[in-house]
Amino acid sequence: MIVTRGIAIRLALILFVTVLLQISFFSYLSFFGSIPDLTPVVVASLGLLGGAVVGAVAGFCAGMLVDSALLQTLGVSSLALLAIGYMAGRYREGYEFSNSLAPPLIVGGLTLVYAAIFAALQIMLGVSTPVSLVILRDIVVKGLLGTLLALAIYPLVRRILRPALIDDAGRRAPIRAGAGRRRAPWRRARGSARRSGALAAGARSGRGS
Amino acid sequence: MYRKQVRRRRAVLVLLVIVSVVALTSTFGGAAGGPFGTVRDGIATALGPFEEGASRALKPARDLVNWFHETFQARGENAQLKDEVRSLAVKKTKYEQAVGENKNLRKLLGIDHSGPMSGYKPVTARIIGRSPTVWYSTVTVDVGGGDGVRVNDPVVTGDGVVGRVTATTHGTAEVTLITDHTSAVSAKVLPNGPFGVVEPEAGDPSTLLLDFINSGKRIHRGAIVITAGWSNGSISSAYPYGLRIGRVTQTTASGQQAAERVQLRAFADLRGMDYVQVMTNGPHRPGLGGR
Repeated sequence: MIVTRGIAIRLALILFVTVLLQISFFSYLSFFGSIPDLTPVVVASLGLLGGAVVGAVAGFCAGMLVDSALLQTLGVSSLALLAIGYMAGRYREGYEFSNSLAPPLIVGGLTLVYAAIFAALQIMLGVSTPVSLVILRDIVVKGLLGTLLALAIYPLVRRILRPALIDDAGRRAPIRAGAGRRRAPWRRARGSARRSGALAAGARSGRGS
Repeated sequence: MYRKQVRRRRAVLVLLVIVSVVALTSTFGGAAGGPFGTVRDGIATALGPFEEGASRALKPARDLVNWFHETFQARGENAQLKDEVRSLAVKKTKYEQAVGENKNLRKLLGIDHSGPMSGYKPVTARIIGRSPTVWYSTVTVDVGGGDGVRVNDPVVTGDGVVGRVTATTHGTAEVTLITDHTSAVSAKVLPNGPFGVVEPEAGDPSTLLLDFINSGKRIHRGAIVITAGWSNGSISSAYPYGLRIGRVTQTTASGQQAAERVQLRAFADLRGMDYVQVMTNGPHRPGLGGR
């Protein structure tokens, strides 16, 4: 992503609107006993579109905004969100997406990771009351809700940031000089399986001839 | 070139982590001092009007989504409520008798009629923000220090106690609900049952537990729990005596466990409420900070 002043303003507006929507709308809703969390979905989407630095900075700023708006302990949300923003960015820098469902699934997975990191931080900071196992259900449901939200949010964020996206300019940018992108691990596995299948078939045909 | 990019990326990450950890340390446990506390309060004050506007604008959408949810839930509760109505009709008769008796006795004793909130000045507040995680059961309200709200002021709805104020800015305040894992409310089981402490189960904001029960008395399902207003002269509970907390929904057999486990359901609709009352300028309660 090429971050010009205009794009930086768009990024700031995306984060501001996300935090407002989160604390004024999504936090009031409850599905299967869990609250849908828009913030990690947007941060992970930004990481996937903009790279590790954009993801980490967006996560940090979104976390600070959420914690400040709710007058909570600063830094907890920032740490968890910058972690998933960075992870999303690193993934984007290392792999290319094979199909359109991959980004929402990755964003859902990162939302689950965010909820787990947040829970771990809270437990490390000290919880004086017994911890319910319901928290595990909450983490999983948050991940599922994150996947559903990402189906709409990821294309929307991509559309807003389209002028800055290198991939959308009609070419695939290499990650580093002289090296193309690696394929996603499952694609590599499938590819190698195909190759080994072809080799086996070749060997069989070789035996038969 | 690539190495330079990697170094820059790592430097940004390390810097952000350090700033987060320093911010966490300086504001942990509700400490509001220092530059980070000032920044947080400044951002909260600046965001307050936007939160209020967004909360008003999005209320119809929230209500629409919640209407679907509540309709499904209401179908399941219908049969259960019919049973409860039958049993409550009997209890109502007894209650009316007791109210009549109570009125007469109060007249005789000259007790103040205004209940547990006598001496407080109620300030009505709209909820403009809500925490998205189960770890923080907190809400932000649109009144703050400028309206006379102070830290540790109790917050109620018509149904019962909601929580207490834990941080304020000029125009907003953070209310920590009784379902937050940092909350503990000294409580009494009615009519003359044991005293204990009501606290939540972390991660499950729908359940409250009555802990540290100081008596071997059996607590029955359906019993009402109120605030005990505990004070030993030098420290006190933030809540005055007599605020309704919840009803006992489940008790475990004491034979299986060392202590009886009592679960409550809060009277106040902590997820669906839009307005609350902050009880300000209350009587002096010793040992409470912020007064």
